[in-house]
Amino acid sequence: MLSPERLALPDYEYLAQRHVLTYMEDAVCQLLENKEDISQYGVARFFTEYFNSVCQGTHILFREFSFIQATPHNRASFLRAFWKCFRTVGKNGDLLTMREYHCLLQLLCPDFPLELTQKAARIVLMDDAMDCLMSFSDFLFAFQIQFYYSEFLESVAAIYQDLLAGKNPNTVIVPTSSSGQHRQRPPLGEASMLEGVEASQFSQCLENLCDRHKYSCPPPALVKEVLSNVQRLTFYGFLVALSKHHGINQALGALPDKGDLMHDPAMDEELERLVVRSRLHRTSRQHRAEEPGAFGFQRRDKLEAPESMPSASASSPYPYRWEPRE
Amino acid sequence: MIPGKYRSVSGRAANNVNCGLHLVIQTSSLPEKSKVEFKLNKETPSFSGRLLQHDLERNYSSRQGDGRVISPSPRNKSSCISSTTNVTELCGLEMKTAMSSLSAFGDSSIQTPSKSRIRQGCHSAGPNVSGDHITLASSSMPSFPILQRSSEEKILYSDRLTLERQKLTVCPIIDGEEHLRLLNFQHNFITRIQNISNLQRLIFLDLYDNQIEEISGLSTLRSLRVLLLGKNRIKKISNLENLKSLDVLDLHGNQITKIENVGHLCDLRVLNLARNLLSHVDNLSGLDSLTELNLRHNQITFVRDVDNLPCLQRLFLSFNNISTFESVCCLADSSSLSDITFDGNPIAQESWYKHTILQNMTQLRQLDMKRVTEEERRMASVAAKKEEEKKRESHKQSLLKEKKRLTINNVARKWDLQQHRISSIAPNQDRKVSDCPQDPSQLRGSTVSAFPEETGSLDSGLTSALQGLSVTDTHLVEVDGDTLSLYGSGALESLDRNWSVQTAGMVTTVSFTFIEFDEIVQVLPKLKIKFPNSLHLKFKETNLVMLQQFNALAQLRRVDQLTVDPQGNPVVNFTLWKYYVLFRLSHFSMQKINGTEVTQNDMIMAERLFGILAHVASSELPQYRLISILGDARKKQFRYLLETKGKKPGLVNEENSDSKRLVGENTNRATLNYTTRDFYNERLEEIKEKKKFCKMYMEDLVKEATEINMKNEALQKLWPQMFIELVRDAVIEIRNKNSYMKLCLQQITDQK
Repeated sequence: MLSPERLALPDYEYLAQRHVLTYMEDAVCQLLENKEDISQYGVARFFTEYFNSVCQGTHILFREFSFIQATPHNRASFLRAFWKCFRTVGKNGDLLTMREYHCLLQLLCPDFPLELTQKAARIVLMDDAMDCLMSFSDFLFAFQIQFYYSEFLESVAAIYQDLLAGKNPNTVIVPTSSSGQHRQRPPLGEASMLEGVEASQFSQCLENLCDRHKYSCPPPALVKEVLSNVQRLTFYGFLVALSKHHGINQALGALPDKGDLMHDPAMDEELERLVVRSRLHRTSRQHRAEEPGAFGFQRRDKLEAPESMPSASASSPYPYRWEPRE
Repeated sequence: MIPGKYRSVSGRAANNVNCGLHLVIQTSSLPEKSKVEFKLNKETPSFSGRLLQHDLERNYSSRQGDGRVISPSPRNKSSCISSTTNVTELCGLEMKTAMSSLSAFGDSSIQTPSKSRIRQGCHSAGPNVSGDHITLASSSMPSFPILQRSSEEKILYSDRLTLERQKLTVCPIIDGEEHLRLLNFQHNFITRIQNISNLQRLIFLDLYDNQIEEISGLSTLRSLRVLLLGKNRIKKISNLENLKSLDVLDLHGNQITKIENVGHLCDLRVLNLARNLLSHVDNLSGLDSLTELNLRHNQITFVRDVDNLPCLQRLFLSFNNISTFESVCCLADSSSLSDITFDGNPIAQESWYKHTILQNMTQLRQLDMKRVTEEERRMASVAAKKEEEKKRESHKQSLLKEKKRLTINNVARKWDLQQHRISSIAPNQDRKVSDCPQDPSQLRGSTVSAFPEETGSLDSGLTSALQGLSVTDTHLVEVDGDTLSLYGSGALESLDRNWSVQTAGMVTTVSFTFIEFDEIVQVLPKLKIKFPNSLHLKFKETNLVMLQQFNALAQLRRVDQLTVDPQGNPVVNFTLWKYYVLFRLSHFSMQKINGTEVTQNDMIMAERLFGILAHVASSELPQYRLISILGDARKKQFRYLLETKGKKPGLVNEENSDSKRLVGENTNRATLNYTTRDFYNERLEEIKEKKKFCKMYMEDLVKEATEINMKNEALQKLWPQMFIELVRDAVIEIRNKNSYMKLCLQQITDQK
């Protein structure tokens, strides 16, 4: 609260800029929506829980899209939640279509717009072959860029189009000979010279953009770094470079590095427990199916199962429960 | 040769008076000598030749072909003869050859006995044959021979003249024979009837087996009663206007295609049109005396107008093309008909033939020449009833089947249209997910109202029979054994109906076709209540596009099998869909998905893929959210009940959780639920409203807070100075001790 910037702005604007207002509004909104339930366990408790969950990033689960995209923190939280929940899908090695990824997104956010998923897929697939299969990590990193920086990318697209059309009013920069000029795609040669825009010119424009952009944008230094490697580039080339840049990923802070993407030991442990339990669950159900009079027990062991079953003890599927009650 | 039956009937026939001809048939043991006496007698009107005619036809038709066919060679010969021969002798004008003339009634032409007699009588051909009784001399016109008979012949047979087998190509001019009553031209080659107009007393004219192409030259023969034109080449019935007393008309073996110009023949009793080219029977009114009608060997497909024949007793329709009873149903209205034949028609092959005929024509005494017994009649009526029932049943079945097919087509068309329309309305959105922008309640309303429903009577029968369907234009509900099939969104309303306990218990499979999944979701609670045993759900063309839609199924009591047809359900194209279903519906322990057995490995895989999602959803969700998500569902349930009471289907949402389900299902999965598009949008609207309010409220609060903060800060700034000032004032006040003490004391005393 006491950062020096606070003094530069009036309080209200400061709160708005820091999205504190957003969360406060949302908290009240949630409170309003669940008045009856919350009044039972205390408003103070509710606010504690709410702001705790905001800090943990779990507040976005199953929320509407307008809220999920409202703040950078929400976006990062959503990215993290998506990664956390569906990392297993990627780990399993399944290649999925854009539509299927979209479905997964919708499991977390029912009204997630298809448009965003499509755009993300376009970054991976580079063209309109939208039915192609993508790996989880490709999609996730592309999606991260697209989702987190969507407003920024829109502005970038506009700038790119302007440049492509040759109508950049401000600056006509004489290209300085760059050492990296021949490093990129030597076999393409002339062809690569023809498509896309001048990297340095583009970089300049983006710098301006980053300065005045009110939405979050990637660190200008990193953008510059991306652009400095090539002389010319296309819009999607730029996006791909952004999505693959681990520095940007780090700066964003939602996802682990690409190498560690499938690594989440805590969750893996949890998963093992779940799998064991589901196995038990299934066998127990099969037992029950054979035993027609056992419906009275169903209720009890169902509820108790999660607590009573330690993670590792796969050996005893509570046989004692099957004793008839005296 | 003549069956006994025939004779027995002849007695009956003899009672029919009003006939100028009397045929006496004598039957001897030797066919050679069997002879028929033919008398022309007005006063003894009995005519039984028609009976013979029928028999003859029956006897010979099988043996012989058409009788009409005449090979060209004899014809040439005959013309040659007629040109060269001036006089033909006709010997033995034998009236006892009536047998052959009678044979003319039938289809057969040649008969041995008559032939032999003719031979015996006349050796014709040559001009100078012995025993000349008749002389055919050339007249002034070269082509017409003139016939003259000797006077003794004339005396002997004053009223009859037979010119059989004389190879005549034209009718000779018959002079001085005005009293002739019978004239026989059988077996010649005459092409035109002429030169007989002066024979005004003629009663019997036999032109059997000639080559006549048109009926003509008969207008003056007003007393003619029997006209035999069998085996000729006549194409049209015509020029019979003046023959008002005609009793027998034989036109068999011609090329007649149509019955016409006979309406005025009110005395006609026998009409023979066998072996012609008739395609149907019609135009019979006016033939008020007709008792016998022979139509064998034609191509008749239907019969009409027979009920306008008040005296018709015998009708022969053998060997035609009648295939349904409907095409001859007018026969049932004829009260006089007692004898009928249908043999050789397609209809006679049908199993229902006999009893249908007997059932419909109770007046019949003979069918296909067999006497109809009482037993047969009884059997027929029983069989006919059964047949009728069966037919009605099968008709009903096929009707229903057809109706079902049409309805399904209709529903499919509507569905396609709807899908297309939706996609065209929201082109920028994806087709499959784009059902949200459309206001579905409106859409549904319009389709339903355009096609008013008509369920009801049909339905009551089917529930008891457990097999049937109720059809309307927009949807179809069918119960077939243990399967309840619903086509079209309107069909969902059938779940509101009162299904019999038996039916509801029987149904284990429910299939949905051409229905939006979102609409199905709304009726799932009803389904759960009405069909508690439904274990197998089938979806086809239901717009299943998202994994999350499967969440909705979790609210059901039990699901053993799930079949999602790829047609119209894009979700099936996903690699993960099965695992998601297994994961989300794991509490059902499903056996089969799309016909494939679910294995333990599948379950584990599902858990591995989505277990974390469930874990995150349950353990990381803040308490208040958990309560609100689960509580939401309960609230909605309540709301749904309210809305259905108010008869307002539409924007009802059903979520997958109620208080019971929390028990039956893994709690950590309960948070994964599905909200239909409509409801979700509605909720978003609601949230928006609330947000707006919250925003204003927060704005006020924050403004107030910042204002206070500002004041506070201002105060904080001023406070040190103020404090110093206050202290300073206090010090100044107490600096002079004495005066201060005085002041204080003063104040105390003042108070008292």
